[in-house]
Amino acid sequence: MKNMNIQKIVRNNMPWLILLAVSIIFSFISPNFFSIANVINILNQNAYIITCAIGITLVMMAGQIDLSVGYQMSLIGVTMGLLVQKLGMPTPWLILIAIAEGIILSEINTFLALKLKITLLMVTVGTMTVYNGISFTISESKNLSGFDAMFKFIAKGYVGPIPFAVLITFLFVVIMSIFLNKTYYGRYIYALGGNEEAARLSGINVTKTKLMIGFFEGLFVALGTIMLISRVGTAHSGTGPGTEFTVITGILLGGVSIRGGEGKLSGVVAGILIMAILANGMQLAGWGTYVQFIAKGIIMLAAIGFDVYQMTHRKIVVDKTTEEKN
Amino acid sequence: MDNAIRLDSIVKIYPGVKALDGVSFSIEKGHVHSLVGENGAGKSTLIKVISGAVVPDSGTIYVDEKSYSRMNPALSGELGIGVIYQEYNLVPSLSVLENVFLGYRVGGKFFPDTKKMRERLNEVMDRLDIRLDPDAMVSTLSVAEQQFVEITKSLVRNVKVLIMDEPSATLSNKDVDKLFDVITHLKEEGVTVIYISHRMEEIFRISDDVTVMRDGKHIFTGPISEVDTHSLITMMVGREISETYPERHSPIGEAVLEVEHLYGNGDRDISFVLHKGEILGLAGLVGAGRTELAKVLYGAVPKEKGIIRVKGKEVTFRNPEDAVACGIGLIPEDRKGEGAFLNYSILWNSVIMALKKDARGIFVDDKKMEKKAEELSKTFQIKAPSLEQLVRNLSGGNQQKTVLAKTFAADTDILIFDEPTRGIDIGVKHDIYKLMNEIAERGVSIIMISSEMEELIGMSDRILVLHEGDMMGEVPKERFDSRYILKLASGIKEE
Repeated sequence: MKNMNIQKIVRNNMPWLILLAVSIIFSFISPNFFSIANVINILNQNAYIITCAIGITLVMMAGQIDLSVGYQMSLIGVTMGLLVQKLGMPTPWLILIAIAEGIILSEINTFLALKLKITLLMVTVGTMTVYNGISFTISESKNLSGFDAMFKFIAKGYVGPIPFAVLITFLFVVIMSIFLNKTYYGRYIYALGGNEEAARLSGINVTKTKLMIGFFEGLFVALGTIMLISRVGTAHSGTGPGTEFTVITGILLGGVSIRGGEGKLSGVVAGILIMAILANGMQLAGWGTYVQFIAKGIIMLAAIGFDVYQMTHRKIVVDKTTEEKN
Repeated sequence: MDNAIRLDSIVKIYPGVKALDGVSFSIEKGHVHSLVGENGAGKSTLIKVISGAVVPDSGTIYVDEKSYSRMNPALSGELGIGVIYQEYNLVPSLSVLENVFLGYRVGGKFFPDTKKMRERLNEVMDRLDIRLDPDAMVSTLSVAEQQFVEITKSLVRNVKVLIMDEPSATLSNKDVDKLFDVITHLKEEGVTVIYISHRMEEIFRISDDVTVMRDGKHIFTGPISEVDTHSLITMMVGREISETYPERHSPIGEAVLEVEHLYGNGDRDISFVLHKGEILGLAGLVGAGRTELAKVLYGAVPKEKGIIRVKGKEVTFRNPEDAVACGIGLIPEDRKGEGAFLNYSILWNSVIMALKKDARGIFVDDKKMEKKAEELSKTFQIKAPSLEQLVRNLSGGNQQKTVLAKTFAADTDILIFDEPTRGIDIGVKHDIYKLMNEIAERGVSIIMISSEMEELIGMSDRILVLHEGDMMGEVPKERFDSRYILKLASGIKEE
């Protein structure tokens, strides 16, 4: 029985244990890896990815995948760039418009998936290209800049010793963890991922729940984009695409099942940090960007493989227990 | 007398059910042999044993008097046994010709000999008097024509025994006539046909012989001339209804659900009234439209026209959420696919429909939910080491109880049970009956869909009979008689 408990603790905290293992390995390679400055630096670099991942986690927990995230970010970014460069729009307005745009883009995806009765994956294969095209067209592939000090504070400011971006990302994670675990809306998301038809026949309004997921996805993708543009200082159509890959891999490493219905937000944070440390390590080892692509792709396949393996493995275990009962 | 197929003491046991219990009979060559029995009598398992889709636990299958302990699909194909299932095995986007020769090579190793194929197809169609354009896409054909493609497909492969599972279920009367012409031609060709149908008049029209199955046992085999509708139905239903159903003492109250001239989801002109504390049975054969009616009543499929009144108030449900809000609950037939969340715990499952109702703002009241789940698991006698147990790991009976608890937790007082005891062990079935009675005594009204006549008669206060989407009648308790109900369900409306 005690054995079972240890097993359970290990399984529930797998992403954090992997993160710990990866960190220890890297602390040998690079002695100042565990310094406070480096830890804060890694957190700060990845705050925007974690923020985006919050939104995508809800989507994936409900059993769907959105491939257009990076292109949504690109479009939101250049919109802000245009507004600030052409109109000199103040930061509070920029933030509001970015959030509104994020929500609209992700609700367009949700709406199309609902109306056409196809998966979000299929819809976003189409919309990602559309969003990408719009982004390049309206920005004319130019770098857009002119952001003020207030905007730059989002990613570069500090509250005491802690970067502002890390602080608000931490807040977002806490709030959304509570939302997922303690509210009935959160349970409905798990219900959708667990068995969508059973959820519908249990009187859960599947359409409304999906629209709600779309709302949060758009919100957090927009917030993440704001943090990213603030970090980079300029907006360009090429900024954003690719993020979806890191985010989805991180979420899978974080214990969210590709079939939905399982996982925790805290695990996702660990998953993203695993990706970050590996990227950091590869950089230190002097691997080129393209070699890193290869490595990241393999990690993603490994994460999916492990997820599927766990599923089938569990099935076998279950079969044994039922046999025992009979 | 030449036998095409002879079965000797075939036994097939599934967990908890003896699907085939020592079945022995023979099928004469060149005859049309009908196979009849109620749902669950073992007909499907039997044809799967013959076609090789199911391996029997014991017994011998003789094909042309050669003995086999088991079949497999490849072997049965070689021996000339073909099956046409209710769900056709056709590729809609390919032509008739391509479908007929799918997986059957004519010509060289790489390039099919289309000319030869065409000749062979035309020859077979001529023999059967079937008129189809070989180049027509299958998706453009009618259901009857698609069936002819299936038959042609079998014949091209030199089939000697053709098994047809409910071939007429989806056909109009005119198409059935055409089908029978083709079957007559098949007979002339010397093909043995095993014909499965629920429709009595068809069986008498087309068969030479008939075999009756009941509860996995072989009851009768003989020439069709030896039986009539009455004796066939008596053999299908068999024993008198045993008194194993728990008694219920619930006063039947006012009308809670009134349905008037309801159309939708394939059902036509359904009218009935359900009273408080009553159990209304819904009888019918496969495809009668019972589950379809349940889905309309539950808002899972929109109604086309007609009136539904709940507690005197007219309602229109846009989705199940609306139905649940009016106190209607559904316990679906497909427990694992539509009822339970298998990867979550009993606790999680049993309160999911109560979360919103008992929430503080948007927050789940976890303590209250835990208490509620404990009460529910006591009321519904869910047997598990703890409430944290995943529903996936429960037995069928306990899964069903969990789904029942979940639905009940939403304060529903009109419950629709779709096949409540399907796949549940006999001992646990009784528990489910008792639970249904208990909640009826608490004032819950129940609609029970069941394919088991005995269960329907044992549990219901009244029985509504459907046949292919039409309401055949409403049978009051004093007229409960399985033969009468089965006749109505078969579409025979006479006194």
